[in-house]
Amino acid sequence: MMKNDGGVILFWLLLLFTLYARGKSYSVPGKPTLTRCRSPEKETFTCWWEPSSDGGLPTTYKLYYRKEDSSDVEYECQDYRTGGKNSCFFNKNYTSIWVNYNITIVAINALGQTFSDPVDIDVYYIVEPNPPENLNVTIQNDKGWPFLRASWDPPKKADTRSGWITLIYELRIKLEEEDEWEIRDVGQQKVFNIYGLQSEGTYVVQIRCRPDHGFWSEWSADVQVKVPNYLRRNRSTWIMIIVFSAVVFLILSWLLHINSRNLKHCLLPPVPGPKIKGFDKKLHKSGKSLDAFKSLDVPDFPHHTFSKSEDLLVEFIEVYVPEEQELMLEKSNDLHDGCLKSESSVSDCDSGRGSCDSHTLLLDKSGQQTDTQDSQIDEQRLGEDLQDEKLSYAHQDMVSPDMSAGRVKTWPSVFSPLPQNRSTSADQASSLEMAKQHCLSDSLLPSEFLTSYHSLSGHGTRDHLGSNYWEFNFGNKRPNLTQPQTEARHQAHSEINIFTTGVKAEPTALKFPTPRSSDYVEVQRVNEEDSIVLRPVGSNYDKHFEIQQGEEYSRVKGVDSDNVLLLLQKEAMEEEMDMCPCEQLSGTTEAHYTKFSTSPEKPTAYTHPTPQPLEERVVNGYVDTATMFTMPPY
Amino acid sequence: MHTRVLHQSLWALLLWPHLFAVSAPLDCRDDPASLARCPSISQEKLLDRVIHHAELIYRVSEESCSLFEEMFIPLPLRLQTNQGGYACITKSLPIPSSKSEIQQLSDKWLLHSVLLLVQSWIEPLVYLQMTLDRYDHAPDMLLNKTKWVSEKLISLEQGVVVLMKKMLDEGTMTTAYSEQGAFQYDVQLDILESIMRDYTLLTCFKKDAHKMETFLKLLKCRQTDKYNCA
Repeated sequence: MMKNDGGVILFWLLLLFTLYARGKSYSVPGKPTLTRCRSPEKETFTCWWEPSSDGGLPTTYKLYYRKEDSSDVEYECQDYRTGGKNSCFFNKNYTSIWVNYNITIVAINALGQTFSDPVDIDVYYIVEPNPPENLNVTIQNDKGWPFLRASWDPPKKADTRSGWITLIYELRIKLEEEDEWEIRDVGQQKVFNIYGLQSEGTYVVQIRCRPDHGFWSEWSADVQVKVPNYLRRNRSTWIMIIVFSAVVFLILSWLLHINSRNLKHCLLPPVPGPKIKGFDKKLHKSGKSLDAFKSLDVPDFPHHTFSKSEDLLVEFIEVYVPEEQELMLEKSNDLHDGCLKSESSVSDCDSGRGSCDSHTLLLDKSGQQTDTQDSQIDEQRLGEDLQDEKLSYAHQDMVSPDMSAGRVKTWPSVFSPLPQNRSTSADQASSLEMAKQHCLSDSLLPSEFLTSYHSLSGHGTRDHLGSNYWEFNFGNKRPNLTQPQTEARHQAHSEINIFTTGVKAEPTALKFPTPRSSDYVEVQRVNEEDSIVLRPVGSNYDKHFEIQQGEEYSRVKGVDSDNVLLLLQKEAMEEEMDMCPCEQLSGTTEAHYTKFSTSPEKPTAYTHPTPQPLEERVVNGYVDTATMFTMPPY
Repeated sequence: MHTRVLHQSLWALLLWPHLFAVSAPLDCRDDPASLARCPSISQEKLLDRVIHHAELIYRVSEESCSLFEEMFIPLPLRLQTNQGGYACITKSLPIPSSKSEIQQLSDKWLLHSVLLLVQSWIEPLVYLQMTLDRYDHAPDMLLNKTKWVSEKLISLEQGVVVLMKKMLDEGTMTTAYSEQGAFQYDVQLDILESIMRDYTLLTCFKKDAHKMETFLKLLKCRQTDKYNCA
């Protein structure tokens, strides 16, 4: 009895002692909580819990669960070890994907037990796979630009082969020294390429995966890879490019420098001011137009300029002849006859024969040249425009009121098989060419003229002219053949007559009927027959030229009331040069011819001062077509 | 006392999100980020899972069959139809096989048919597993596949049972059919016949697995659109 009492007392003393010794109070354990449950492959799962206070006493934990379909039966966890401390592992036999689990943790100690809150688990939604395995990153080469290729395997436990679990992957990469990761979504594939690498950088790569309904796995282990240096090749390429472009630039600048002048002209073409050689603007502005025009005079014009045959370039100006007169003229013309006939007279031109009809000394041409220019030009009635228009205007004023409105007609070339085709040029004074009138009709009245002026352009050779005129002829021909001078023809002529004289062609190559040498002639004297004896100036440049040496003269047609000698233009043969000083400008011709006439008189009735220079020209036996241009248009 | 309160408050703070999560068991959210909250899985989800299961089983069975064929069956003997000596074991089962018949079945009978099929195949597959082990040159893959299939079939059975409970509100017996005994474990056959029998088994199972999958998909289709299912 004493022992029993002593034992009990001892027990209680011990208990009290322990209590006091620890300085604590003992209690039932705290409420544990289920922290997480995970299934790595949807076939098993593990749950972990967190214990709370143990109440100072040794506490054990138990896990109880119920299954949804048999909720009255409570099961206990079979495996507390596999998952570690405070865990419960459900193996395959105990895992069902069809039912939910209701799990409760119980903490038991000497004083009592505490239940945790129950948790429902659906195995489908707690899948957290293991990280992917065998991550392998290699450097691949794509034409000198390297890239990384990462490949991996799914975690072993996850059954992706049969489709039991579908995993999607995520990769992250960063340079070794950086802190920020760059994340790339990969999808379901197991290979991934990474481009845009830094040369000579070291990269760190990781991978993780997730089922379609589930949690992300942990990141796999690091894989390091070093990118080789690939920039050097690029650098050399850049150097080459720079050198090449520098060379090209140098070449271009050198070329520019050489052609700077040309370029300047090309890019900034100088604006041509109106300019006539020798024309003094100031004089003109000052009102002394005559002086201004005088200054244009080239004193030794015919002599010098005709020094070379190449300089001779005949240009034609068409002088318009009124239709009726033309018709008449046509009738009376022969093919080689470049004579103009006025309506009032029956021309008796024998152009090309080297003489003009003496009794038809109608010099309606003012200051016209009888000079023979290049043979090609000779007696061509290539119409020309416009400057002659002025002449014709003047002519008109002087000669006849009937004259058509100053249009210049041009004759077709003599050497063409054309009938006398006179074409009137359009009323445009654009061309610088003057047709030389080769023939003066006997009955040239003031009212009608075909005058063609030749002018030396100074360019081109006879040969050119030949070709030119050939073309002219054809042009002329067409309209001429069709109708008597119609407007169209005139226009056609005018078109044709606007002909540059700068063309160089070989007369020999052309079927040039007869190139005429066009030389200038000087009036030597007037013989007793009232013929003017002319002397060619310059001479035989023209090989084709078979001119009658010696005297050539033009017949004086007659003298009009004003004491003006009207000369017939000498109709030359094809080879002959036109010796007739056929001038178109009646007014001026009159003026000029008064000089030649036996009864010289002052020039009469100038309507405008411009013909004066012509007068002077005529002194030389030549009319400078340039001066014609200065005549104001009517 | 103070320490206990302190501990509990500390734990409460730490497990703050979990508290809310755990304390709402009726919130049936399909949120994988937190623990499952629904007390039971919904019917649609269950059906989906069952269908997925059946699909996988069919796929793997097809793979096993072709593997077996390549390994063991010479070309002239490769049967596309169920001709030959061995009929399918499930031929005797009252399972419709034509499209029209199938369409006439109600949902209940569809499920019952599926269950029937599944249950009738569990044992033969186990047997197949055993016989394949005895083969000399059976590749591991073939063995693994057949093993997998048999396991999954059992799982499928469970699923169908649960589904039936949910859909039809009835309980069924897991092993309701006694036709299992019709299968004979005949080990006395010679090698060729044994091979042919196994091959027949595999092909028959493949067909039946496809049937199961079809029934379940039809069932699903009827859930969503009753009148437009084939």
